[in-house]
Amino acid sequence: MYKRLDKIFNIFIKGLTFSSIIMLSFIIIFIMKESISIFEKVSVFEFLLGKEWDPLGQPPSVSIFPMILATIYVSLLAVAIALPIGVGSAVFLTSILNKRMRKILKPSIDLLAGLPSVIYGLIGLLVFVKFFEVHFDFSSGESVLAGGIILSIMILPFIISTCDESMIKICKQYKSTSEGLGVSKYHMIRYLILPACKKSILAGVILAFGRAMGETMAVMMVIGNSPVFPKLFGKAQTISSLIALEMGGAGVDSLHYHALFAAGFVLMMILFLVNMLFHYMKKSIDM
Amino acid sequence: MKKSKYIGIKLWSVLSGIILIVLVLYINSYIFSKGACGLNINFLLDSPKGFPLGTEGGIFPAIVGSVCFTLVACFFASIIAIATAVYINFYCTNKKICGLIHIVIQSTSGIPSIVLGLFGYTFLVVYLNLGISLLSGGIVLGIMIFPFIEVRVEKALGEINNELIYASYALGVSKSYTFFKIILPMCFDEIISSIALAGGFAMGATAPIMFTGGIIHAPVPKSLFSPAMALPYHLYILIGEGISIENAYKTAFVLLLLLLALNSFGILVGLLRKEE
Repeated sequence: MYKRLDKIFNIFIKGLTFSSIIMLSFIIIFIMKESISIFEKVSVFEFLLGKEWDPLGQPPSVSIFPMILATIYVSLLAVAIALPIGVGSAVFLTSILNKRMRKILKPSIDLLAGLPSVIYGLIGLLVFVKFFEVHFDFSSGESVLAGGIILSIMILPFIISTCDESMIKICKQYKSTSEGLGVSKYHMIRYLILPACKKSILAGVILAFGRAMGETMAVMMVIGNSPVFPKLFGKAQTISSLIALEMGGAGVDSLHYHALFAAGFVLMMILFLVNMLFHYMKKSIDM
Repeated sequence: MKKSKYIGIKLWSVLSGIILIVLVLYINSYIFSKGACGLNINFLLDSPKGFPLGTEGGIFPAIVGSVCFTLVACFFASIIAIATAVYINFYCTNKKICGLIHIVIQSTSGIPSIVLGLFGYTFLVVYLNLGISLLSGGIVLGIMIFPFIEVRVEKALGEINNELIYASYALGVSKSYTFFKIILPMCFDEIISSIALAGGFAMGATAPIMFTGGIIHAPVPKSLFSPAMALPYHLYILIGEGISIENAYKTAFVLLLLLLALNSFGILVGLLRKEE
């Protein structure tokens, strides 16, 4: 009786695992397959580096160079804003606060990470964009800058948690030694902890960069969505917001549809590379 | 002299810590204060009304829809995620296959959610003819949270003391019996809490369900094949089309409350079992 049950369980587990793995690989292959047919009509070079996105025009032109630029621009801006604050907060959490305060403050970072991106979009639109419109003389507050600021808040938890992890490790290792030598806390932070954390800071930046690039809703709501070359105070459109906005109107199997799939595929490949880099970094830290 | 040398670092870290605290407090109090005023039972139990839809009335179908999406997603994701984690930990002896599975899971977690939505729309909605429905949206959300659950469950299973399991095998107890009687009770709380956290992740996601399951206006879903409203999508429509900012605040507030409840449920399960 038990033997039969064991066999059923065995088959059940194996079957589920393999079907799920096949399904997941199928998704990746499916996206690849749907996007490849665009390259029969448009060359890869033109698709990636051309300047115009007008899939419904005559003749249609589909090039996502401005969107790729905008995606990278917004993400870099977000990382540039979040990096100093994130590393500073990690130092603040690990070295300056006492244990009790730390225990109170740490969950609040999870709170920041758990907020859905639509809510970030809401705050971006109703706080930042409005602020730009009222206090600066922008033609429209929807801009790359607003997107960068919102994204930087969203990726802050990732940078903090990766830095925090290794800072605690290093602190534990050297604290008693450096205290015994009479070195001040800040000297230790400056000459011991920060240099030793270089790699994990970089890993955190890569992780955050990947997250920022894949983000859809929050950016879409504040960036203005016009497929032009991105400027700091001007509108732009990221790849994910392009897909989100135009998918509803593209007929299945049309040029427009395949172009959107190809844009998604490009984004997926970039993210895949970024994630691989992150795991490589993480591995070299752990060793 | 010596002390002033490090004042820069001190200032920098304290300042960024303060920025962090202010951000957390500001964002949460902003949503809570703006959303809580004017929120009443009618808003929770009414469906959207007015022209354009949503200017008046409540969000009841959206609440139910969101909960349904989350349940369907958690159901699909947790079954395959737990099976995969168990397989990797206790069945797979070939390291190459384990590595391959890990690579596939890694690459799936790298797919941006909007591309998953694109896939769901083409494959599930159009090719498989499931239509824009609770089922297709739930499956796509499930795929999105699958890596999240799998990684956590695998870690929890890996932390179990191996001696106990080997002892059980040595006594001739079957693998399935060992799993149900020893392994599962030991990390049940971990599994439940990771599913709850992943559920929160699914509940807040908009991009995957925009084309696969969520529509602008629908009644409370009756079956798996009917489309449904979802809170984040409703919120996006309310702001994006400029329909009603006031209702958007209230919707955001309700969404946050639901997420908070889900997350604290996950944490509570862990705490209660530890106290026993």
